[in-house]
Amino acid sequence: MRWFRFALLILAVTVLQKGLLARWSSKPDLLVILLVFFAIYYSTSDAIISSFTIGFAADLVGSPMPMGPQIISFGLFGTLLAYLHRVIAIKRMPYQALAIFVTSVLTGALTHLLAYITKGEPVAANIYIVVFVTSLYSSIVGPFLFLPTAWWMRIKMNRFGRR
Amino acid sequence: MARKQTKVSRRMLFTWFMLTGFIFLFAPQNLTSKFQLAFVHVFRWPLTIGGNLVMTAQTQQPLAGAASRSDTQYTNYIANLEETLAQERKKLKKLSGLYNTYVWEGTDYALADVITATVDGSRNELTIACRKTTGLAKGQFVLGDESIIGTISDIFPQISKAEVKLVTDPMSIMPVKVAEFKNVMKGSGNNSAKIEMVKNKVKVGESVFALKKPGFLDAPMIVGKVTECNRNQKNPSLWDITVVPACNIEQLEDVAVIIMNPQK
Repeated sequence: MRWFRFALLILAVTVLQKGLLARWSSKPDLLVILLVFFAIYYSTSDAIISSFTIGFAADLVGSPMPMGPQIISFGLFGTLLAYLHRVIAIKRMPYQALAIFVTSVLTGALTHLLAYITKGEPVAANIYIVVFVTSLYSSIVGPFLFLPTAWWMRIKMNRFGRR
Repeated sequence: MARKQTKVSRRMLFTWFMLTGFIFLFAPQNLTSKFQLAFVHVFRWPLTIGGNLVMTAQTQQPLAGAASRSDTQYTNYIANLEETLAQERKKLKKLSGLYNTYVWEGTDYALADVITATVDGSRNELTIACRKTTGLAKGQFVLGDESIIGTISDIFPQISKAEVKLVTDPMSIMPVKVAEFKNVMKGSGNNSAKIEMVKNKVKVGESVFALKKPGFLDAPMIVGKVTECNRNQKNPSLWDITVVPACNIEQLEDVAVIIMNPQK
C-alpha cells in the first residue's frame, strides 16, 4: 500500500465531499466507494486500516452528526467486506456496484442507529429514502471511479482481472 | 543491521481501531465537534472554492419574468416591512398615546460568510465564518437575503465559526404565522418545510412569518412562501402546508445573525 498516495486521495475526496458535493441534495458517497475499493483490492490488514481511516474522514465531514458512529460502521463493514472478498471474488462491475450498494446501506443504517442510541441524535423521518438514494447513486458511480483510483494508487491492471 | 519489523495481527488491529472508534463515540460531543470544525477551518479555502463552483454551475440564466436574487431580497424586505408596519399599527391602536420604540431599534447584526452548506435530505446546515463573535448565542436567528433561514446551533468563538441549523433541516421546529394562523413549522429536508394540521386552506404563494421570540426576534420576519396546501391524510378537515424558504439558501454567500439587545 502506498500510504502517502492513500492519504492524499482520502484528503482530496473528503474535501470534495464536504465542499463540492455538499450543496447537492442527492449525491453519491465517495468515501463509501473508496471503502469498497480498498476492501476489494488490498490485503485484509491494509483494508482494515483504510476502512477505519476512511470512517474517521467521514466523521470529520459528518457534522452535525457526532464523531464516532462512522469510524465504527465503516471499519466494521470494510473489514467484513475484506474477509468476504477472500471467499467471494468481487471483480465484475455489477458485483462491485452491488457491494457498494449493500455496504452503503449497512454503514448508513448503523451510523444513524449508533448516533441515535449513544448520543440520542434525532433521526429524520426521511432517513430511509436518503440512505437508499445515496446508496443507489454510489453504486451507479462507484465502479467507474475504481479505474482512476487504481491508476492513482498505482495498482497493476492485472489485479482487476475483469473480463 | 536489519531493522526488526513489528507485526500486528489483524485481530489486534481491528480491536485497536474499534476501541478508538468507541472512544470518539463516547467522548463529549462538544470536544469531538472541535475536530470537525478544525477540519473546516484548515480547509476553508478549498471548501469555499468547491461551494462557489457548484453555485456557479447551478446558476441558470434568469428566464423572462423570473425573479433574480436581488428581486427576491427586495420582495422579502418589503414583506418584512409590511408585517412590521402591521404589527406597529396594531400596537399603536392598542397602546395609543403611549411611547413606543421601533422594533428593530438597538438590534445588532453579525455578518458572516458561508463556508460550507450541507443540503441533503437528512441534514440541512451551514458552517459560517463570523466577522465578529461577540454577542453570538445558540438559538439566534440567521438572515439570508432579508429572510430567516435558520438558527445558530453551535458556536466556536476561538476560530470565529458557527453552525446554522436551517429551517428546512428535519430537526428544525419553528413557531410561525401563516395567514393569521399560528402554528409550528417543521423542516422536512430537500429544501422545504411543513406546517401540519392547519384549520383553513391557505393560498399558494402566501408568506410565512417566524413568530416573535423574546430576546431573539422582536418582530415577525418572513421565512418562506406556501407552495402547496393539501388535505391532511388522517384528518381531511385539516390542511398540510408545504413551505419553501423565501430565498435560495444554496446560493447564499453571506448571512447575518440577529443579535437583539447587544451588550454595549
